Amino acid sequence: MQISRTGIKKLALIAAFCFGGVFSSCKKQETKYEYGVNNEDILPANVNKTRLKTTDQYVAILYANLFQKALSSNNLFTISQCFDSVGDQILARQILIANLMKKTGVIIPTVASMNANIEAFINDTYVRFYVRMPTESEKAYLKKMIQADPNYTPEIIYISFALSDEYMYY
Amino acid sequence: MKRRDFLKKASLAAAGSIVAPYILPSGRLFAGNNVQAAQHVVLVMFAGGVRHQEAALQGYLQLGQGIKISSLNTAANAGNIMPSLFNGAAPNGSLTPIVYGTGSTGATPISPVISGATSIQSLGTTFKEVRCLTAGHYQGWTSLLQGNSAATQGLKQKPIYPTIFEYVRREMGVPATKVWFCGNGIGASLPLLNYSEHPNYGAKYGANFFAPLITFGAQGQAWYEDAKAYDPTTELNPMYAMKSFLDKNFSNIGKPLPDLMNTAAEKYDIHNFMKLMFTKTHNNSVACPPGASNGDARNIGYCAELMSYFKPTLTVVNLSAVDGCHQNYTGYLQSLHQADHSVGWLWNYIQTQIPEMMNNTVMIVAPECGRDLYPNPIKDNNNYFSYDHSDANSLRTFTSIIGGNTPPNVVKGDPSNPIGLNGNVVPTIAEVLGIKSQVTSAGFLAQGVQSFYDLLP
Repeated sequence: MQISRTGIKKLALIAAFCFGGVFSSCKKQETKYEYGVNNEDILPANVNKTRLKTTDQYVAILYANLFQKALSSNNLFTISQCFDSVGDQILARQILIANLMKKTGVIIPTVASMNANIEAFINDTYVRFYVRMPTESEKAYLKKMIQADPNYTPEIIYISFALSDEYMYY
Repeated sequence: MKRRDFLKKASLAAAGSIVAPYILPSGRLFAGNNVQAAQHVVLVMFAGGVRHQEAALQGYLQLGQGIKISSLNTAANAGNIMPSLFNGAAPNGSLTPIVYGTGSTGATPISPVISGATSIQSLGTTFKEVRCLTAGHYQGWTSLLQGNSAATQGLKQKPIYPTIFEYVRREMGVPATKVWFCGNGIGASLPLLNYSEHPNYGAKYGANFFAPLITFGAQGQAWYEDAKAYDPTTELNPMYAMKSFLDKNFSNIGKPLPDLMNTAAEKYDIHNFMKLMFTKTHNNSVACPPGASNGDARNIGYCAELMSYFKPTLTVVNLSAVDGCHQNYTGYLQSLHQADHSVGWLWNYIQTQIPEMMNNTVMIVAPECGRDLYPNPIKDNNNYFSYDHSDANSLRTFTSIIGGNTPPNVVKGDPSNPIGLNGNVVPTIAEVLGIKSQVTSAGFLAQGVQSFYDLLP
């Protein structure tokens, strides 16, 4: 049987049509849903702080936070010895901080500047000690505490942060 | 709710609220069913590896150097250089060199505060031939505090088993400031001994700790002394309240930090004591044994001040100057003599200067380990040989007990008949304080460890 040249052309056209149809058929369009909700971090802001600072790390960072300069290695060694000589480490930290607060050169905001903008003070304090911004609830609660009790001076607040568990971790 | 049910539940709740405050941390309702022989116990961990031959055996240079220097190997070179702890004639200066005293050559023995009829041997019970559980310092300390010696105990690791500090706080429910450990320094992991890492015990039952020569020495004066004294009401309370808020926000993230659970009032009290000690240190008015001035003596002095201030239920004080015996035998003899003087002074101080503890205290003196039979090759300025601690002789020691119901003038054990283990200190303290059954039933004491009182007739 012989196929004419015209017939071959027709067959080729049919095959090309079928082949093209297979690879260019219709696709269902994906539906994108949008609910008008902002993306938010659902984990706590301090979730990555799982490593306990050593005494040396704690002291060096504390000194830098309070004086905004580095502590000498000799002083670091001596302070570490002081820590080892007191069993209650929380008390040891408290007394050390109370001592540092009396030394010249400690950089701490005034009560007036804190009260002028409490939210900014809270933000700065969180960044200074915790290296993070406060959550809205933290900010609201602290603001309420500060406003309700005039005994909350920047010094007392700084000591509270420096004594807190979160400050012991990084 | 029916009236009968309401009344039943209300009465149960009322009963619970009355009983609850008296439930001890261990879950017991009462502090113990044993008789408490005294309200205070003082344990002196004495004094850095004491060679038995110069201590209880009173061999001085005969047993100390006679093994290498034959001219000293005669009875004329023996004698008692620890008159506060043991009865016996001192070395005769006309027959043997006197090097254990004070002065540049050690030729002047210290005049003892107690001796003879008032010595610890005369007024108490002496176990003259006790066996140590181990021959090292840290393992020895943990043995004295745990009543056990764990093979897996690391040198830079907190005690594995509960310490006597934790037993006392847990079983008696006493606050943290009633249990103290006074270290002579911060080396050799000493600060780790104030509580164990056992999960059922730990920091919340731990002892407060000071290393006074550091805490109130140059280091403490530089970084603690000027500490601002915050008002407990207007400053400390807000401070703790804010810290509490901050900690709650972190409670699900970090592990809880070790806390001795000193209350805010106790912390304030400890800080006040520190300020008092800084003042006394500058005034040179800290209590101190009159005839000794080395680190051990000064540590004993600070410990006496601490007891006078806090009246602790349990005080443990560590001495370790005699460990100089590794390279200086003469210095070792002098330190041993000073340690004996200091302990005698401490007992006298308790009986005369602290009315609350007078006639109400038991003191136990126990070395953590002994020293070798044969010396090492190191000679001191007198050409005397030095001693380490690693052989069987290092397990030979003594234990002296005085006060409470301890029978006077009793001596138990001799070289051919050793009696007791140094780990017995733990159940002995427990017996004095009325918690022996709880401590022994806790199951952490080594096999054979028992109260020294159980070894008396």
